[in-house]
Amino acid sequence: MSLMTLPHLCNPKGRRTAFLCSLLTGVALLAATATARADEPILQTEQSDVTTLAPWSPHTILVVDAVYQHNKDGRAYVIDADKGRLMGMVQAAYNANVTLTPDASHFYVGETTWERGNRGERNDLLAEYDARTLKITADEKLPSRALVTPKRNDLAISADASRVYVYQMSPGSGVEVVDTATHKVTQTVDVPGCALIYPWGNSGFSSLCADGTLANVSLGADGKPSMTHSAPFFEPDHDGIFEQSPSVTKDGKAWFISYTGKVYPTTLGVNATVEKPWSLQEGAGMKAAPDSAKPFEVTWRPGGWQMSALHKSRHELYVLMHKGTFWTHKDAGSEVWVYDTETHKRVRRMVLPVASPMVGVTQDDNPLMFATDEETGDFFMLDAKSGKLLHKMKALGGALIFTVAPGEG
Amino acid sequence: MLPSDNKQGSLLDRLTESVVRRIAGRTSRRDVLTKLGGAVAAVPTFMLLPVSRAGAATAKPKAMTPFGAKAQAKDELACDYWRYCAIDGNLCSACGGGVHTCPPGTAPSPTSWIGSCYNPQDGASYMIAYRDCCGQDSCNEVTCLNTDGDQPTYRPMANNDIIWCFGTGTSEMYNCSTAAVVGKAS
Repeated sequence: MSLMTLPHLCNPKGRRTAFLCSLLTGVALLAATATARADEPILQTEQSDVTTLAPWSPHTILVVDAVYQHNKDGRAYVIDADKGRLMGMVQAAYNANVTLTPDASHFYVGETTWERGNRGERNDLLAEYDARTLKITADEKLPSRALVTPKRNDLAISADASRVYVYQMSPGSGVEVVDTATHKVTQTVDVPGCALIYPWGNSGFSSLCADGTLANVSLGADGKPSMTHSAPFFEPDHDGIFEQSPSVTKDGKAWFISYTGKVYPTTLGVNATVEKPWSLQEGAGMKAAPDSAKPFEVTWRPGGWQMSALHKSRHELYVLMHKGTFWTHKDAGSEVWVYDTETHKRVRRMVLPVASPMVGVTQDDNPLMFATDEETGDFFMLDAKSGKLLHKMKALGGALIFTVAPGEG
Repeated sequence: MLPSDNKQGSLLDRLTESVVRRIAGRTSRRDVLTKLGGAVAAVPTFMLLPVSRAGAATAKPKAMTPFGAKAQAKDELACDYWRYCAIDGNLCSACGGGVHTCPPGTAPSPTSWIGSCYNPQDGASYMIAYRDCCGQDSCNEVTCLNTDGDQPTYRPMANNDIIWCFGTGTSEMYNCSTAAVVGKAS
């Protein structure tokens, strides 16, 4: 007798019928359970253990969640973007920054905690993690670090992974240099009037400055810093450069993108050279956008938080674009426009599932592109060549602000 | 924060002249600092500012920015309230405080960055000090991201990403943002 036939038999006509019906139902349920058990293997006693991640693929990424709603609880997720699966996570407290070693064997988290939650002694920390065990391999206290909504270029690593650079603002601007062999801060280089870190090579970095120049800091063999300045190449109050502009550490190539959509190809170094800018709009067959002098003109503009990404070997620049006036530089992008950095032409235009404040891209031949819905915390994994949605992780986090993929530096 | 390097400082002065003009109209940087200092010392000049003279204005100047053109002057709990033209974060007015008042349990930052917002009520623009309230984690009742005049952190005096909690005596934990009028910009 199947359970499905019981409703026909159990026609409630009286108390005795009801009793018989209950009995029959019970017997049937017991029989069904016994059948199910016979199909299951006999369970063995188990030991609790902990897993280790497989070696990182080009599609294993870090996603930084600033958790704006309760900022001290920030975290960084390790995601298998081929499957859209969370593989592990670590703390990344209070406006934290994350950077990955070039071989993806370790990553660093610059974070800030207070001894008693919201009070007590402040600890600015640089934690080094093994990327496969997610165990801390070094945990050093820093002199300070900048407390600012996290940007990728507030923490950086040299091409040979020998130095980590930490941007500080306490409130004077400086860059702490951490020796990754000894895990000690060897020095703090003052960068007055400048901010951020765009690393180049094994021993140098540049910062963007308030006067529209680049400050180029070179650390000599003796470790001593020397600084040069480029000529001013932009006017921050008329057309500022996005802090999240992409750069490549190995060869010092950078693409500084302005609020209006000018792209300044740059080679960072002691004698940094900034080339004549090209226009995102002109590269897409439109007229260039005006600067802050004509703020009311509505056109397609770059914007968002992590508003750009670079695919090095494909020479592709990914930019989040939205339609808006000047001073909408933090508006989420409804589309991603992809440019060939050699020809300065738009090669693709992809509409996102929802407007996203961040875009990321992997560095392999079949790249994935990443975006988020800032309202829901959903995380999107898309085909970077077509914009097709491949996976969606619902409500992954509170404020997904940028991704870090292997091989970006 | 201002750059301390002399060479940078002189260049900065020259290059920021136009933004300071935009921010402060005919008011010099020294005047800005003076007024800021006055506001920090709680000099009640705020009460003397002409906040409702719409009728007296013969030729109302137009808003200089898209935000200003759409701003309202009635609901201080809404993101389009005029003086929030460059606020980024949680409104203290929705967290137990007010437009220039920190909620209990937090402390106001003595430092801030300065924006310039157009008041549709009287057609004038005002300098606004965006001071954070600090010591408790994010309040989060009404969160806004307005970016009129917002510049990157290499222009810290015009950046709304920085946690402006220097010198509060509490932790630098950000709770919410206020928008205090500190002077007239036009």
